Amino acid sequence: MSKISEAFNNKKAFIPFITCGDPDIETTKKIIGELVKNGADLIELGIPFSDPTAEGPVIQSANVRALSKGITTDDIFEMVAGIRSSVPVPMVFMTYANVVFSYGMDRFFLRCKETGMDGIILPDVPYEEKADFDRSAAANGIDFISMVAPTSKERIQKIAAEAKGFIYVVSSLGVTGVRKSVSGNISDIVSSIRKATDIPCAIGFGISEPKQAREMADISDGAIVGSAIVRIIGEYGTDAPSHVGEFVKAMKDALSA
Amino acid sequence: MNSVIKLCGLSKREDILRANELNPEFVGFVFYQKSKRNVTAKEAKEFRQELNKSIKAVGVFVDEPVANIERLFEEGIIDVAQLHGSEDETCIAELKNKGIPVIKAFNVAEESFLEKAMKSSADFVMFDSGKGCGRTFDLKVLEGFDRPFFIAGGLDPKNVRQIIKSVHPYGVDVSSGIETGKAKDFEKMKEFVENVRREDYQYDGNGRFGRHGGQFIPETLMNAVIELEEAYLKYRDDTDFNRELTELLNEYAGRPSRLYYAEKMTKDLGGAKIYLKREDLNHTGSHKINNVLGQALLARKMGKKRLIAETGAGQHGVATATAAALLGMECVVFMGKEDTERQALNVYRMRLLGAEVIPVTTGTATLKDAVSECMREWTKRIDDTHYCLGSVMGPHPFPTIVRDFQAVISREIKQQIMEKEGKLPDAVIACVGGGSNAMGSFYNFIQDESVRLIGCEAAGRGIDTFETAATVNTGKPGIFHGMKSYFCQDEYGQIAPVYSISAGLDYPGIGPEHAYLHDIGRAEYVPVTDEEAVEAFEYLSRTEGIIPAIESAHAVAYARKLAPKMGKDEIIVITISGRGDKDCAAIARYRGEDIHE
Repeated sequence: MSKISEAFNNKKAFIPFITCGDPDIETTKKIIGELVKNGADLIELGIPFSDPTAEGPVIQSANVRALSKGITTDDIFEMVAGIRSSVPVPMVFMTYANVVFSYGMDRFFLRCKETGMDGIILPDVPYEEKADFDRSAAANGIDFISMVAPTSKERIQKIAAEAKGFIYVVSSLGVTGVRKSVSGNISDIVSSIRKATDIPCAIGFGISEPKQAREMADISDGAIVGSAIVRIIGEYGTDAPSHVGEFVKAMKDALSA
Repeated sequence: MNSVIKLCGLSKREDILRANELNPEFVGFVFYQKSKRNVTAKEAKEFRQELNKSIKAVGVFVDEPVANIERLFEEGIIDVAQLHGSEDETCIAELKNKGIPVIKAFNVAEESFLEKAMKSSADFVMFDSGKGCGRTFDLKVLEGFDRPFFIAGGLDPKNVRQIIKSVHPYGVDVSSGIETGKAKDFEKMKEFVENVRREDYQYDGNGRFGRHGGQFIPETLMNAVIELEEAYLKYRDDTDFNRELTELLNEYAGRPSRLYYAEKMTKDLGGAKIYLKREDLNHTGSHKINNVLGQALLARKMGKKRLIAETGAGQHGVATATAAALLGMECVVFMGKEDTERQALNVYRMRLLGAEVIPVTTGTATLKDAVSECMREWTKRIDDTHYCLGSVMGPHPFPTIVRDFQAVISREIKQQIMEKEGKLPDAVIACVGGGSNAMGSFYNFIQDESVRLIGCEAAGRGIDTFETAATVNTGKPGIFHGMKSYFCQDEYGQIAPVYSISAGLDYPGIGPEHAYLHDIGRAEYVPVTDEEAVEAFEYLSRTEGIIPAIESAHAVAYARKLAPKMGKDEIIVITISGRGDKDCAAIARYRGEDIHE
């Protein structure tokens, strides 16, 4: 059993996402501290990419902010290595195929292993293209996280059958970003996944309020919240950690209630 | 499997050093005093010491006493004996008994040489058109010859691939074909070896072009591209679909486009005969309409009611807006903010045609960002929307679909040039951004290896500056916009902010099939700077009275360099992918003149 599944042990997992280096590495470290303190069960760390095609405006801006400071993949590995011992929960990277590919897949996943990462999410690597990434990740004990979308339909079975860590269920069409409501057929998607695997399912895309998080967690094993947190960081910059902390606490309380 | 290579008649130390660099399977030393390439045992010994261990040295003999051959073998100077005289089976048997591998050559002028070769006990046989006289013979006689053989006599870098394809020899032997003025010519040696070893163009139909291509897109879009592929495979060979498309291409878009003999340009450059493939004469003023009509029809068959498209220079956007108007579909075009400014006229045209134009402000606000935004839009609304991608790029099946719809260009060129000249062109030149007009211009010539295929990349201010969009010349393999291909990027894989005066070529990637044609050496990709393109824009306007798109001017610019180096009996076809009216204001600005439209 991978370390990632521990995040879902006997509880609904709260999974926050942040973009590393937004607004700078020091603030990212403090934010991670707040995420841990306020009950994050698994942390998704974004490695910024110049052209994040699956992101809405909020996370796109975070990528721009981070890259404009010249942050690199190596800076992020170094940061993770520095804080890993103080973060008791599993951590996964979220980035784009080219960031991993250009670093050299094996080299990238070896660094993941060395720095204590647990998984990788690549939104532009679907089932058909995952083999090379998955092989290299697995060789280093890193879980390649699969995504299932509202359009996946008959693809769900094969994706779920090979899934590792947890399954990232995309709540609705479109890119990441805050939404008032998420699409209707998520429970169907989750029950379809359940037929193929026992791996936990966490729902992401568009969750911004404690009530939504609760609803999503009720029909799955956890909720992923990205844009709502990144928006706070965008607003408060280096003062963001405490604000993020408050927000996370409210979300986590809703899930634990 | 590739044929093995024997570079024969090496007689100087530098020949050996060159051979080491090229690493053929065999080299040949000629031990025959009447030959101008004759070497002594002493020379050969020194050569052998310099020669890479992995290369086998073949001694070439004409009726040499067995004892002499044996001595060279014992001393480790040669690894194989090649016999060109009247050596009989006894002689071969003696050599083989000493453990010396034997190649027996048969002169094809000899009577019943095939029969003799078939029966020969030599390890290998060789067919020679006659001791280095440099003539090739009728290859048909070798059909059905059922044992591995070398072929020699008259081979050169230009004909070797054709020979390999027609008779599949075990090995190819070359000597005079890699010489200039009786001395070995490194360039020719290199070209010969490369041409033998070059991978053949192969398309597996699954959206992989060698190591490039694929479907690197979010899961949300996977069923959409799968559905598109299924629909495409269904309608690609459908008679009604093709009839409808052909009728639109001919009656609406004005195909076939002219292949025009640019006589003044030809005379002015003083070399190859130049023809212009006039895609600029198509309705909407560029080649983009070819693909758009195909995709729009396909989308309608799939029940889609809305087209979305990215555009750089605006040509694809205008073409998509046009098709949408014609077929009664909704249309939204994403265009980098920067480009909406430098191509204001096209923005107006799209709106006039009823399309909504959305300026994209993210990233560099150019073509790449327009593509990203289109992909995002598609994930939001898939059911009724088709993403009408404008180039041979993006996730499978787009590179294949767009190529097939653009292949009409090379299909026509081939037919038209055969009618006008009775032979194929020597070079086809086209500009490359994503690469759709180039792929369309190249496609039907890929198997015709005598036709050079040349893609002209936008070098912007030069490939040694950061302000360039020359992907093959400055990029490296990467994964972006749904495909594995070459991309301009930094060491961490961040996509580079590229630059070109031409909005249509201002893109950091190239279609995966081009990347593959580059890898296998079937097409060449050359950089052309802003300045060269602008000069060519002015040159073609002045010389032929044809104002090309600034994109197409990149191809014209390279042709101006190449044509004078070619013979008057050779032919270049340049694809003029679009008309240049849209660029006049920008070129005027480039020249320091401010015109108000």
